[in-house]
Amino acid sequence: MANTTTQKKTKQAGMNSTLRTLLPVIGLVVIFIVFNTLTSGGMVSSLPLVITQVYPIIISAMGVFFIMTMGGLDFSQGSILGIASIVICAVSKVSIPLSIVCGILSGAAIGAINGFFYVNRKIKSFIVTICTMFLFRGFIKYLTTNSPVAGNASLIYLDSTGLKVTLTVIVLLVGFIFFRFTRFGTDLKAIGAGEKAAKFAGIRTDRMKFWIYVLSGAITGFAAFLSVIHIGSVTASGGNQLETQILIALVLGGMPISGGAKVNFLNIIVGSLLYVILSSGLNMMGVTPQMNQMIQGIIFLIFVFIFADRDANEVVK
Amino acid sequence: MSEKEVRLQVRNVSKNFGITKALQDVSFDLYKGEIHALIGENGSGKSTLTNMLTGIYTLETGKFILDGKEVHPKNQVEANNEGISIIVQEQGTLDGLTVAENIFLGHEDRFIKGGIRNTRAMNQEADKLLKEYGFDKIKANVMVDEYNFEDRKLVEIVKATYFKPKVIVIDETTTALSQEGREELYKHMKRIRDYGGTVIFISHDLDEVLSLSNTITVLRDGIYIDTVDSKDIDVDGLKKLMVGREVSGNYYRADYGEKVSDEVVLSMKNVSVPGLIKNINLDLHKGEILGIGGLSESGMHEIGKAIFGASFDRTGEVVLEDGTKINDIPTAIKHSIAYTSKDRDNESIILNQSIEDNIVLPSLNELAVAGPFQSDRKKKNFADKYAKEISVKMVNTKQFVSQLSGGNKQKVVLARWIGKDSDIVILDSPTRGIDIKVKQDIYQLMDSMRKSGKSILMISEELMELIGMCDRILIMKDGEINGELQRSPELNENALIEKMV
Repeated sequence: MANTTTQKKTKQAGMNSTLRTLLPVIGLVVIFIVFNTLTSGGMVSSLPLVITQVYPIIISAMGVFFIMTMGGLDFSQGSILGIASIVICAVSKVSIPLSIVCGILSGAAIGAINGFFYVNRKIKSFIVTICTMFLFRGFIKYLTTNSPVAGNASLIYLDSTGLKVTLTVIVLLVGFIFFRFTRFGTDLKAIGAGEKAAKFAGIRTDRMKFWIYVLSGAITGFAAFLSVIHIGSVTASGGNQLETQILIALVLGGMPISGGAKVNFLNIIVGSLLYVILSSGLNMMGVTPQMNQMIQGIIFLIFVFIFADRDANEVVK
Repeated sequence: MSEKEVRLQVRNVSKNFGITKALQDVSFDLYKGEIHALIGENGSGKSTLTNMLTGIYTLETGKFILDGKEVHPKNQVEANNEGISIIVQEQGTLDGLTVAENIFLGHEDRFIKGGIRNTRAMNQEADKLLKEYGFDKIKANVMVDEYNFEDRKLVEIVKATYFKPKVIVIDETTTALSQEGREELYKHMKRIRDYGGTVIFISHDLDEVLSLSNTITVLRDGIYIDTVDSKDIDVDGLKKLMVGREVSGNYYRADYGEKVSDEVVLSMKNVSVPGLIKNINLDLHKGEILGIGGLSESGMHEIGKAIFGASFDRTGEVVLEDGTKINDIPTAIKHSIAYTSKDRDNESIILNQSIEDNIVLPSLNELAVAGPFQSDRKKKNFADKYAKEISVKMVNTKQFVSQLSGGNKQKVVLARWIGKDSDIVILDSPTRGIDIKVKQDIYQLMDSMRKSGKSILMISEELMELIGMCDRILIMKDGEINGELQRSPELNENALIEKMV
């Protein structure tokens, strides 16, 4: 009697961790097949178009993945992408390579503001980043009051799938290597699982937290370049809602919201693809944007329910 | 005592954590008006049993029968309502609440009228209780965060006993308390016994167990071994029951009169931390075990933090032999200083990570294979080696630390620093919540570290281990060093206590 309960429990624990890794992958395949059937092959034929949306999300999701691994949150990504896009457009008229650098720097600068208030002034990360999201969204609207900010006309010619795939793969690969094979990832996970103890083990937690926000801003600043070469200009809604898209993508990918030891780099890739296929599939089926958002919301809630690391959060605040 | 009346019957209780069998078919009786000690090695199932009784864990198989009625509390509040309470090993009060709110947590109803809580009445009631208990220095309306670990334990004593519980569990609490705090606790244990309550007392200090309890139940590896009358047994007898064989060899180190090297490896110069320690000067010599003793609030625990660079607003200098100044934790670790905190679960260990991650964390730089790159296999081997060396009871090193018992967590902390091979080791309460067998291992380990030229600073509230292990003992009082005692076979507890109070 007691023995069967034990076996059941062990099995359950094992299943939970397998579920965490496998469910998003299965979900990705199932959703792809379902939408492909429902749109009678439309998913496969329009795949290149669908994938176009994934580059900025998947790249900036990597930065947020680092932040969430160490237990933080970032809602300012959309505004960072918007500001960085404006900077890239403006500078591209002078020099395109310089515009990439400036885009990255502007993203890093906003990340530094987030990091400063979060680390030095000890304000909770979601409050700080909601404030900066608001602030810089206002700034974007101000800069685009009269007309969208257009970039150098030759930017559009850079827009090729080859370039975007190459750049995305390079960014993800570098991120993966550092996260998985150096102490960078170990330190982030340790901070997420127990910041005070991580500090007592010799990790400079405050410094790390600050630089991760800067890094995440810089990564999104780079993602802005891929977004700009695709569109060619920035409007007031540039980058709007990217932060929610990233959050949904990571959670769909199986990432525990509280970060810590159970995160997996695969969360970024699977999650971003899952999100993009889900939202464009609903679109293709003729679901109205309003309904689309609602359905996404329901799926999001279900995934949060499945993946919440309840063992780590005995006290929920 | 004439005919003993049964208070609580434990019947066929079992509990499993994953594949670990924490308890197997345990049954015994507890009587009214007794202090019933529960002893056993780390991981023998003592805390598991009492945690189920008090609703912290859920009871799966078996029964608890209290005064003839089966009880099955789902949480601590329900347990309180049945007349069962507990003082836990770790911190049991909640941050962000006042002392009064903590005392009446889950029982606020009595102060609520028409949906509004009468905070004043609650504070008055709490102050009255604190006064009755003689804890006047603790004020009901102050945030519990403002008090130190020891005072918070006193708050827990009030919280767990003010409603005259039928059964109270005191789980390894005494090791967290200084001598003074212990005396307070003993007083209340005796009070509860005298009005007919039952005290379940968990402790690794066998002398304490023998002198306080009426009856002793021994568990080993989750199995009930025996219940004995404390009059009929001695320390050696208990050890034998716990371990299942004779315990041999030295407990503390055995040498006296060995000369300590003149070489100073670390010194504190005029170190102060506001509100905690004042103008501390001390030298730690090569191969020396230097003890720091005192009452809990004497500032002794801050000494370790100050050396490790973990104190806030520290002034003065901590200097190594080569002139390096230690001002932050990474510098301390880099210069071969190790530190184990008294607040193990928050400061020494990451609960929601694997044993492996915890052991390798400070040594990651040394474990790198090429540039910044790490090798999984090297990390695993490293963790396996040191976890086995200190015999952590575990499934494997991938297991999360949160699933380990208190003593085993402490072993993981020690494994981490043994692996790091630090030359200066600061141990704050290293044997807190650890059974005699592991204690002996730790003492022997300290002795061999000393002999290989490592220096140890041991901060401890257990006077016997200071006397047994240290070359020199500094006694702290009110944030200052109040006296120094040299190692000698004649040294006794009273000499230390004299300087402490």
